[in-house]
Amino acid sequence: MSSITGFLSRAWVRWAITAVVAVALLVVPLLFSEYTNQNLARIGVFAVAVLGLNVVMGYTGQVSLGQIFFVGVGAYVTGYGATHDWNIVVVFLASVLVPGVIGLVVALAAARLGGLAIAMVTIALPIIGVPLAKRLSDFTGGSQGLSSAFSNAPDWTGLYNDQWQLYLVIVIGGATYLLTRNLVRGKYGRAFAIVKSNEAVAASMGISPYRYKVLAFTVASLIGGVSGFLYMAVIQFTSPETMTFSHSITLLASMVIGGAASIIGSLLGGAYYVLVPQWSNDINPNLTELLQGALLLLTLFLLPGGLVTLPREIARRLRRSRPDGGPERRQTPSAEPAPGREAVEETPTVGGIPTQRPTERQEQA
Amino acid sequence: MGAQLRLTDLNLRFGGIKVLNDVGFEVEPGQIFGLVGPNGAGKTSLFNCISGHYRPSSGSITIDGEEVLGTAPATLARHGLARTFQHPALQLQATVLENVLLGAHTRLSGGPVEWALRLPRLARSERELRIEALTLLERNGLGWAAHRRADELSHGLHKGVELCRALLSRPKLLLLDEPAAGLPHSEVEQLIETVRRIRHDDDITVVVVEHHMGLIAALTDRVVVLDHGAKLMEGAAAEAQSDPRVIEAYIGKDAADDVA
Ligand SMILES: Nc1ncnc2c1ncn2[C@@H]1O[C@H](COP(=O)(O)OP(=O)(O)O)[C@@H](O)[C@H]1O
Ligand SMILES: [Mg+2]
Repeated sequence: MSSITGFLSRAWVRWAITAVVAVALLVVPLLFSEYTNQNLARIGVFAVAVLGLNVVMGYTGQVSLGQIFFVGVGAYVTGYGATHDWNIVVVFLASVLVPGVIGLVVALAAARLGGLAIAMVTIALPIIGVPLAKRLSDFTGGSQGLSSAFSNAPDWTGLYNDQWQLYLVIVIGGATYLLTRNLVRGKYGRAFAIVKSNEAVAASMGISPYRYKVLAFTVASLIGGVSGFLYMAVIQFTSPETMTFSHSITLLASMVIGGAASIIGSLLGGAYYVLVPQWSNDINPNLTELLQGALLLLTLFLLPGGLVTLPREIARRLRRSRPDGGPERRQTPSAEPAPGREAVEETPTVGGIPTQRPTERQEQA
Repeated sequence: MGAQLRLTDLNLRFGGIKVLNDVGFEVEPGQIFGLVGPNGAGKTSLFNCISGHYRPSSGSITIDGEEVLGTAPATLARHGLARTFQHPALQLQATVLENVLLGAHTRLSGGPVEWALRLPRLARSERELRIEALTLLERNGLGWAAHRRADELSHGLHKGVELCRALLSRPKLLLLDEPAAGLPHSEVEQLIETVRRIRHDDDITVVVVEHHMGLIAALTDRVVVLDHGAKLMEGAAAEAQSDPRVIEAYIGKDAADDVA
């Protein structure tokens, strides 16, 4: 195992893997059927939406039940811009920035409240969004929805529509994934993680929990907008139905099933969002919801860390079933100290004086 | 240059309970200052006031002459205040190194867009900090643990990791809340050496809360004794140890052996 990780950490190996993946992504749209390409493109759309949700919820620990709202806004802005013949770059920027600004404003207000209040505010978004989309029919086409074929393949490409659209998803979604992966590592990744686990400590490190929650929420909305743009590019139609609350919940379930606070997990979450309803529908259309619920529970029990932890879980189980228990078994629970040092568990008293007050309270409040 | 800290007539209350009662003292730049007193005396609360986590009802706290009362903890940290917690709060799933790197947050430049683009300049500063953090861990006898997950380490070692995390921020003023609690005797000696070296090499002002009177005596230039939220006395550690009022305060908490 360690030799594999050692191998993978070498710079040239990583470059080679990146190159192979990039080439594979570029030829994939040319290989498969229209049906498969469309499915892959949809997975990409929702993988981006789940990625955004992961930034605010998986990495930063703020419950958001409104991610689908930002996807919907992004899709509507795209549809509106495309039907009004805006330049495509302008369409893209608007479809990202409009949800981003809405997200920023909501977060500035909601992140002050803290705790479950953020979740409550985010519930309101899709609930308000649906009737609003019906009402603002000049912009949204009302209940009829909005359709646009702006993403049909240009003639010069010689590609079919499904191929062109999959390319759009791969390039734009891929760039979003790369940028987000960079963001959640290093300085900002550590800051998000400590805001999630302990706000008092975060603050004592110079990290304002409020500002970083607002930042995470805004990034999630921007990414939601990207997802909305791709949604319109792939599905070419949006209606108030796009942003119903139940979709937001499914998005959340997808994030958990794929793996919270994980980039690969977000991708798997997108696949879950698209494929599982299809499969359960194939098995028995009357039992779709039941099957999905069962799968959700099964994953949570067997893989609480999400599908992304599957390889690790398998490795752990294999090791455990080996007679000597494997290397992990032989390790002492508390790590070995340096030579000549003793690792000692905390004793409740030091020099006769209790080190802990009778009531364990939040001195870090 | 270590910071100067002055508290004047500090009062803190929770509901009807007076937790701090007109507490005031002054810490000179570069001093190691001790804060002692029985459990529940208000030492941690006092730290929480200085670090901005608690809001005193009245009084004044100045750092280098500047009033900081009511300043947010994150802002204070950006201006050179660092602290450890009585109950260490590490990220248990992360490695020791990642935990320590968190301390360098304020030293890393660049906004979210720049980090998302992973500009070479930022990647380089991250690499340099990693080396610095490793060196710091090494110097504090924790180099072997750098790549371990924090939850593999004992409580006493968590305190050491927290100390490194605080130091990596290059503070002017460092608050240590019971750094020796849970450490065996051999480790306390090492801790004393470490804090002395910090003061000598980095010229930091240190305020330390501790029950371990050996550590207080060996380390501090001056101590304040708190009891029931009020200042009982101020002076050299030796004076505090022989002061009848201090002994009584501790006996009242049936822990006199530590003072004697
Ligand atoms: N957040 C809080 N809410 C209510 N009471 C508190 C709070 N923090 C501290 N106290 C009270 O203040 C007193 C001093 O506690 P503390 O500062 O932790 O003492 P020490 O660190 O000296 O042991 C205790 O009586 C405690 O109950
Ligand atoms: Mg305390």
